Amino acid sequence: MDIKNIRNFCIIAHIDHGKSTLADRLLEFTGALHQRKLQEQILDSMDLERERGITIKAHAVRMEYRSSDGNQYLFNLIDTPGHVDFTYEVSRSLAAAEGALLLVDAAQGVEAQTISNLYQAIENDLVIIPVINKIDLPNAQIEAVKHQILELIGCPEEEILLVSAKTGEGVNRVVQAILEKIPPPQGNPGAPLQALIFDSSFDVYRGVVALIRVFNGEIQVGDKIRFLATGREFEVEEVGTLLLKRIPTKRLTTGEVGYLICGAKNVRDIRVGDTVTHALRPAAEPLPGYRQVKPMVFAGIYPVDSQDFEDLRNALERLALNDSSLYFEPETSSALGFGFRCGFLGLLHMEIVQERLEREFGQSIIVTTPNVVYKIITTDGEELYIDNPVKMPSPVKIARFEEPYIDAHIITPPEYIGNIMKLASEKRGILQNTTYLDPTRADLHYHFPLSEVIFDFFDRLKSVSRGYASLDYEFAGYRASELVKLDILINGEILDALSTIVHKDRAYDYGRKLCRKLRRLIPRQLFEVVIQAAIGSRILARETVKALRKNVLAKCYGGDVTRKRKLLEKQKEGKKRMKQVGRVEIPQEAFLAVLSADD
Amino acid sequence: MTQTAGLYIHIPFCERKCGYCDFYSITHLELVDAFVDALIQEIQLRGRWGADYRFQTVFLGGGTPSLLLPEQLHRILGGLREQFPILRDAEITIEANPGTLSREKLRAFRQLGINRLSLGAQSLHAAELRFLGRRHTAEEVMHNVSLAREAGFENINLDLMTAFPGQTLDSFRHTLEQAVQLHPAHLSCYTLIFEPGTPFYHRMKTGELPPVPEEKEVQFYQEARRFLEERGYRQYEISNFARDKAYICRHNCIYWNYHPYLGLGPSAHSFDGKQRWANIRSVSSYIQHLKAGRLPVDFQESLTPEQQMFEYIYLHLRLRNGLDLAAFRQRFGMDLTSRYRGTIHRLLSEGLIEPPNGHLKLTDKGWLLADTIATYF
Repeated sequence: MDIKNIRNFCIIAHIDHGKSTLADRLLEFTGALHQRKLQEQILDSMDLERERGITIKAHAVRMEYRSSDGNQYLFNLIDTPGHVDFTYEVSRSLAAAEGALLLVDAAQGVEAQTISNLYQAIENDLVIIPVINKIDLPNAQIEAVKHQILELIGCPEEEILLVSAKTGEGVNRVVQAILEKIPPPQGNPGAPLQALIFDSSFDVYRGVVALIRVFNGEIQVGDKIRFLATGREFEVEEVGTLLLKRIPTKRLTTGEVGYLICGAKNVRDIRVGDTVTHALRPAAEPLPGYRQVKPMVFAGIYPVDSQDFEDLRNALERLALNDSSLYFEPETSSALGFGFRCGFLGLLHMEIVQERLEREFGQSIIVTTPNVVYKIITTDGEELYIDNPVKMPSPVKIARFEEPYIDAHIITPPEYIGNIMKLASEKRGILQNTTYLDPTRADLHYHFPLSEVIFDFFDRLKSVSRGYASLDYEFAGYRASELVKLDILINGEILDALSTIVHKDRAYDYGRKLCRKLRRLIPRQLFEVVIQAAIGSRILARETVKALRKNVLAKCYGGDVTRKRKLLEKQKEGKKRMKQVGRVEIPQEAFLAVLSADD
Repeated sequence: MTQTAGLYIHIPFCERKCGYCDFYSITHLELVDAFVDALIQEIQLRGRWGADYRFQTVFLGGGTPSLLLPEQLHRILGGLREQFPILRDAEITIEANPGTLSREKLRAFRQLGINRLSLGAQSLHAAELRFLGRRHTAEEVMHNVSLAREAGFENINLDLMTAFPGQTLDSFRHTLEQAVQLHPAHLSCYTLIFEPGTPFYHRMKTGELPPVPEEKEVQFYQEARRFLEERGYRQYEISNFARDKAYICRHNCIYWNYHPYLGLGPSAHSFDGKQRWANIRSVSSYIQHLKAGRLPVDFQESLTPEQQMFEYIYLHLRLRNGLDLAAFRQRFGMDLTSRYRGTIHRLLSEGLIEPPNGHLKLTDKGWLLADTIATYF
């Protein structure tokens, strides 16, 4: 295929704005798949992704298209993850393309996520094709959405395409625009190899499968290759293109998108954003933009039954094969025994890992309250990064506390600004500025401590704005902060897994709410349970769970035995999911109580 | 080998429904005849079931079995005796509502071989009886007890209810005093349960009937035990008291001792040691099935050995005598105290069980928490 006839593009869209449906229509239109074979929404292949309606891992699909002028074209659709936890992955997918469809729901309008991805695309010099989707909806506001798009990218109005991916209306014009507006890739097939890794996943039979975009040179089976960031070298076992499944080819040349298998057994050897080159004729420079992804949020994951520790380790190891951003190492808690401290890109990533451990690996686990990584400057001038409140040094040794901040954009209709500002101040947000995308959309630019945002911020934002506001953010470095460690005591003993680091001014209120919440979550036991919140030896709050005095069914005759057994069996199941801390049985939800201590 | 077993006959008719009761019954008394025909049919279809068993008890429960005419009861008991090996000295109980009994009826019951009478007294206060939706008076309870004595009933039980809204410790003590003066052989004291589906449950959910606080329930319960034990009624199960060993309800002990039982009539449950099944909970479907010559079974389960063991444990723990460890070993081929070493240790340290000494028994404190304790096994 002549490089002039290749088009590499992404779709930038908010969750539920119809990215997957449009992708399906494009595949159909170009004949890449017949409608019958079309399993709804091909791109999201993990069950969990489909359920949550988000794309977690990037994928790519190749389409061959014969246009009306008789020319054969090759389209590569590079999919992008749709959540703020995966911003870096998105940036690498965008870097692999020359153009992007900016897809906006005609009823919902532009959202924060879309804007941030759009800016990234523009930074990567991508040609933007604006598309308004779902024009068939009765509540479609095409004119208003057009206006928002014009504010954002300033294109001629007639270039905005109107589409219904559901009915297929307008899809032909999208294909035409891809063909006409997106430039073909540049590059020199004769130059030393430079290929960008924009995704990597693990195949149990083949090892790591990397998705690559070749910028210069060619790569073929048998080549000795080197990854510039990790320095690891391998021999190419297979390259090919992605047509819903992997189709091996002899080589991939400049401008092409495809996959690479080279016998690597660990996803950590092949990192997203790294550059592949030849070992014998290496490129002088890596492609720009690589950075090592660091987990932002940490939490402990413990087996409910401490005997299942090794099983859990196995499950985490297998999960990590597929998920290079999951970090874990063994830790011990006096309350929960042996477990792992795990690092995640964000809270969604954490929830995904938790669900996959439970669902795919059948693990019964307890996840402790997540926290960010705090920075402590000791009185000796030493810098410590604390990923677990338990590891905090004694207060007398702390000269300064710093916590991570983020740079956030909240896009909202103006009528919710008041609510949002109230929420933001509760979350220690600092307003930077407010701009209007159009009279119906404001962009509130904030700085927040990351720790305030990882908990329930997103849900609260949705609720104070009736679902209209959207959020995007990026890490903005560490700043000094007045923080304290808040402990929870159960019957006088510190439950280390519930210790948290909070802002000094919030500790009292927070401790009280947390105790109240725990009182509701901890079921009554055979004895009284006292719950206390404390900073050091200073008790801030106290709640009591009264002892259970009576729990016996007055009547139990022939007709009651089965019903009663089922009831008791259910209670036994519930108990199995509880963690015994000393004599007290504590349900799993209690360990996450901090997340929603605000209700 | 012969084995102890019991027969339960469910008579699903009442003159009117009480707001707290969730036993299956209807008020369409015009269906009684067709029901009795169907019951006779079921007895015949089930005839072979009891071949290996010796039936020590028959329990006519309901509903209000005392609504049936003596002739109808005669057909039923005759049918049972024809088909099942019922012991000559079997305990044969009938449940009755005070006020539905006459001298003649009681004599007829005796002649049919019925030797135990269970009266649903519930309370001996007019206002409380009205609240519970009972049609009888306290006087009728007393009158019926003396009529029954005259007719030759020695073994009389009174059902009493505790911890319902409006009841006070004083009013309960008064009921107990009156009841004891009647010198019944047996007393059952049930804490009110708000059963889903009953009018009381609905009224509780809407806030109209606030349930009695747990502390108060405990007080009622302890008052019943203290009062009755002092007057010679020995508590042998969570809710049951007998004046003498001879008056312990043999039928109900079949359930708690995990013996087999056959239940006949709509909604009746049966158990053969490994399987449990239940009849359909509808008089009309029950009649239809039997007219067509089919057993009216609506639910059936096979119990895994684990489930059998669990049921065996929690049912036995309801009894004052507890669970016989040797009998357990014989039945399940394992030692309960070693299998549940951790649990036993825990329960001992919380003071909920007595130190095992041939038997596993709950302490007084444990008795109130029997259901929670069961979840440790």
